[in-house]
Amino acid sequence: MATKLNDVDVVIVGLGWTGGILAKELAEAGLKVVALERGDMRTTDKDYAVPSIRDELRYVIRHDLMQNTARDTLTVRNNPSQEALPMRRLGSFLPGEVVGGSGVHWSGHTWRWTDMEFKVRSMYEERYGKSFIPADMTIQDWGITYDELEPYYDKFEHTAAISGKAGNLKGQIQAGGNPFEAPRAREYPLPPLTPILCSEMFDKAARDLGYHPFPRPTSNASRAYTNPDGSKFGACQYCGHCQRFGCEANAKGSAHITVIPIAMRNPNFTLRTNSWVTKVLKDSDGKKVTGVTYTNILTGEEFEQPAGMVLLCAYAINNVHLMLLSGVGEAYDPATQKGVIGKNYCYQTGVNARLFFEDKYFHPFMGAGGSNVTIDDFNINWGFDRGPHGFVGAYNVGSGFNTALPIGYRPVPAGTPQWGKAWKAATAKWYQKAMNINASGSVMANRNNYYDLDPTYRNAFGQPLMRMTFDYKENEHKLGRHSADLVNAIARSMNAASVIPASARVEPWTVVPYQSTHNTGGTIMGTNPRNSALNKYLQSWDCHNLFVVGANVFPHNSSYNPTGPVGALAYWTADAIKRYVKNPGPMVQA
Amino acid sequence: MMNTTKLICTIVLTCSASLAHAQGDAARGEKKFEDCAACHSLTTGENGVGPSLAGVIGRKAATLDDYRYSPALKRSNIVWSPQTLETFIADPQKAVPANRMPYAGLTNAGERADLIAYLQKMSK
Repeated sequence: MATKLNDVDVVIVGLGWTGGILAKELAEAGLKVVALERGDMRTTDKDYAVPSIRDELRYVIRHDLMQNTARDTLTVRNNPSQEALPMRRLGSFLPGEVVGGSGVHWSGHTWRWTDMEFKVRSMYEERYGKSFIPADMTIQDWGITYDELEPYYDKFEHTAAISGKAGNLKGQIQAGGNPFEAPRAREYPLPPLTPILCSEMFDKAARDLGYHPFPRPTSNASRAYTNPDGSKFGACQYCGHCQRFGCEANAKGSAHITVIPIAMRNPNFTLRTNSWVTKVLKDSDGKKVTGVTYTNILTGEEFEQPAGMVLLCAYAINNVHLMLLSGVGEAYDPATQKGVIGKNYCYQTGVNARLFFEDKYFHPFMGAGGSNVTIDDFNINWGFDRGPHGFVGAYNVGSGFNTALPIGYRPVPAGTPQWGKAWKAATAKWYQKAMNINASGSVMANRNNYYDLDPTYRNAFGQPLMRMTFDYKENEHKLGRHSADLVNAIARSMNAASVIPASARVEPWTVVPYQSTHNTGGTIMGTNPRNSALNKYLQSWDCHNLFVVGANVFPHNSSYNPTGPVGALAYWTADAIKRYVKNPGPMVQA
Repeated sequence: MMNTTKLICTIVLTCSASLAHAQGDAARGEKKFEDCAACHSLTTGENGVGPSLAGVIGRKAATLDDYRYSPALKRSNIVWSPQTLETFIADPQKAVPANRMPYAGLTNAGERADLIAYLQKMSK
C-alpha cells in the first residue's frame, strides 16, 4: 500500500537537463516543486574529480553513470514480424541515471535545428511534390517554427556555455562560422575551442573541395565563464575523457553544475533521489493527471505523490514507457496507424572512414568532447538538391577526436591481424597516426518503427518492458550511400598512407555495439491530437496538466545531436507553464 | 652564440617574471580569478571541486580539515607564499606531480603576478 504524501504544485519525473531547467524556472515562479530521480546524487567534487574519474572500466565498460539493465531495459527487434528480445547489457545507446542525467556524460555538441526539420513535410512536398515522400514515411510538421524557438536556443546556449562561431548573425553571413545556419540574434557565449590537428587537416581538405567547414558548437567551455544565472564554468582542459565521463573541471555544460544547484537552493524545491516512478495517475474521467506513484529503490517503500501538474522529464525512452504504462493517450498500432503513443521512434545513421598517415602525430589523448570541424553543405543547406538522389533528410560530416579511450581506441589499418604480435606492433605504430572522418545522418519516421509494451518480458517492478521495433529503411540506405561517397572523396583528397573507406550501412540495425544516444519520438508534438501526443507547448492533448519534455517529442530525427532543441524546448515549455498556471486548460484547442 | 642567446633569454625571462611579480595588479587578478572560480571559493569553509582559498597565503598545503586532498599535495610540504604559488600555478603537474587539480597551468607570468597579488589582497 503506497503512502500518500502531501499535495504539491508540480512533480517532475527525472532530473537531468529538462527536469533541471523546469525545476529552477518553476520554483522561481513560486510553485512548489518535487523532483523524483531514479539515480543517485553525484557531484563534481565527490564523484567526477581526478584521478578516480579516469576509469575506463567503471564508466565505459560497466556504465557507472547509466541505466541499470538488471532493473529495467527494453526488448528489441527489427520489424513487427519478429519476436523481440531483451537488451541485457546497454549497447547502442546509453541513457543516464544520476542527478544531471545524460547531460553529465554527453560530449556537449549543441545544434540549432531549423525549419528544415520543423516544416519537413511541407518543405519537401512543396519542392519535390507529394509523391517524393514514400507512403510509409510518417514524417510531419512539428507545429513550431525556428523563429519561435530562437530566443530559447539562445537562452540554452548561454546557460550551457557553448563555444562556437556564429555563421549567420541576424541574416548577415559571418566568416569562420556555419554559413548554412539559421539567423541567430547574437554570438555564442564563448569563442571556439582550440583546434586540433585532424580537424585542421579536414578543414583544409573540405575547403579545397569547395565546402564550408566551421568549428562544431559545443558545451565545452573554451575559457572560464559565468553564465547569466551565475553558474561558474572552468576552462576545458582537453583531457580526452568527455563522452561517458563527468567533467572534473566543471567545463562541460551539465544541469548538475547549473540549473539543479540553483533549484536546490530554492525553498520551493525538493529533490528525492533513488525514486523510481512507476505510473502517472489519472482522475476518474481521464481528463487530468493527479500525480504519480513511485518506489524508493533503496527501501522498496511505495509512495503516491499527488500534484497539480506532472512533468515527464526522464530519458526520452523512459518518458514514452511511462505514458504507455499509465495509459495516457492511445497506444500506436502500426497495422491500423491509429493511436499516437509510441509512434515515430527514430534513431540516427552514419558512416566513418579512417585515415592513416606515416608522418603525423594526432595526439588523440588530448581533446574536448567537441573538438571537431564540420561541414553542413549536405545537411541544413536547402540548396543541396535531394531530387536526383531520392532521399529525404540530411547528413553532416566532420572530423575530430572525442574521447579516444586509452584502452578502447586501437586504430589499425585494414588487413592487420586482430590479436597477437602483429596486432600489438600495429596498434603501437598507428595509435598516434590515425584520424577519422565521420558522417552523421538523419532518420525519417516510418510507420513500422515504433514503441509498444512487450507482451512477454517484465522489469523489476513487474511491469512490461518497453518494446522497440526499429530498422533502417531504403531512404536511409540512399542517404548512407551518398554520405559514404562524399566522405571517401574527402578522404582520398588528403593523401593518407592508407584509408579504411566509409561504406553505407545496409545490414539490419543491431542493438549491440554503441552507436548514439540520440533516440527520438514516441510522444511526438504536432498540430492536432490525431497525429501527435502533445501540442506545440509539449502539453498532452489528453490531460492538460501533463507535459512531456525531451527528444521523445521530436516527430523525426535530424543528423544533429538533439540537446540543442531539447534544452530550448524545456525553456519554451517553462514559459508556457508559467502562462498555463494563470489559466489552466488546453493551450491549443484541438 | 646559441648558448649565450639562450642564457640571455633565460635571464631576461627571469627578470621580467620577478618584475611582473613585483608589479602584480590585484584588480586585474580579480578578473583572472574567474579562471579559478569554477572550483575555488574565497569564502572560509566553502569547498567546491577545489579547496577554499580564503587565507591561502601563509597556509601549509593540504591542511584544511574538511577537504579531501591528493596524497601528492599532502606529501608536498609546501607553505603557500607568493613564490610557491608562482611555481605551482605556472605548471601544477611539474610543481607537484600527481596532484589532483585539473588545470594545465597559467603560462603568462604577468597574469600569474596579478592573480597572486589578488590572492595576497584577499588573504589579508
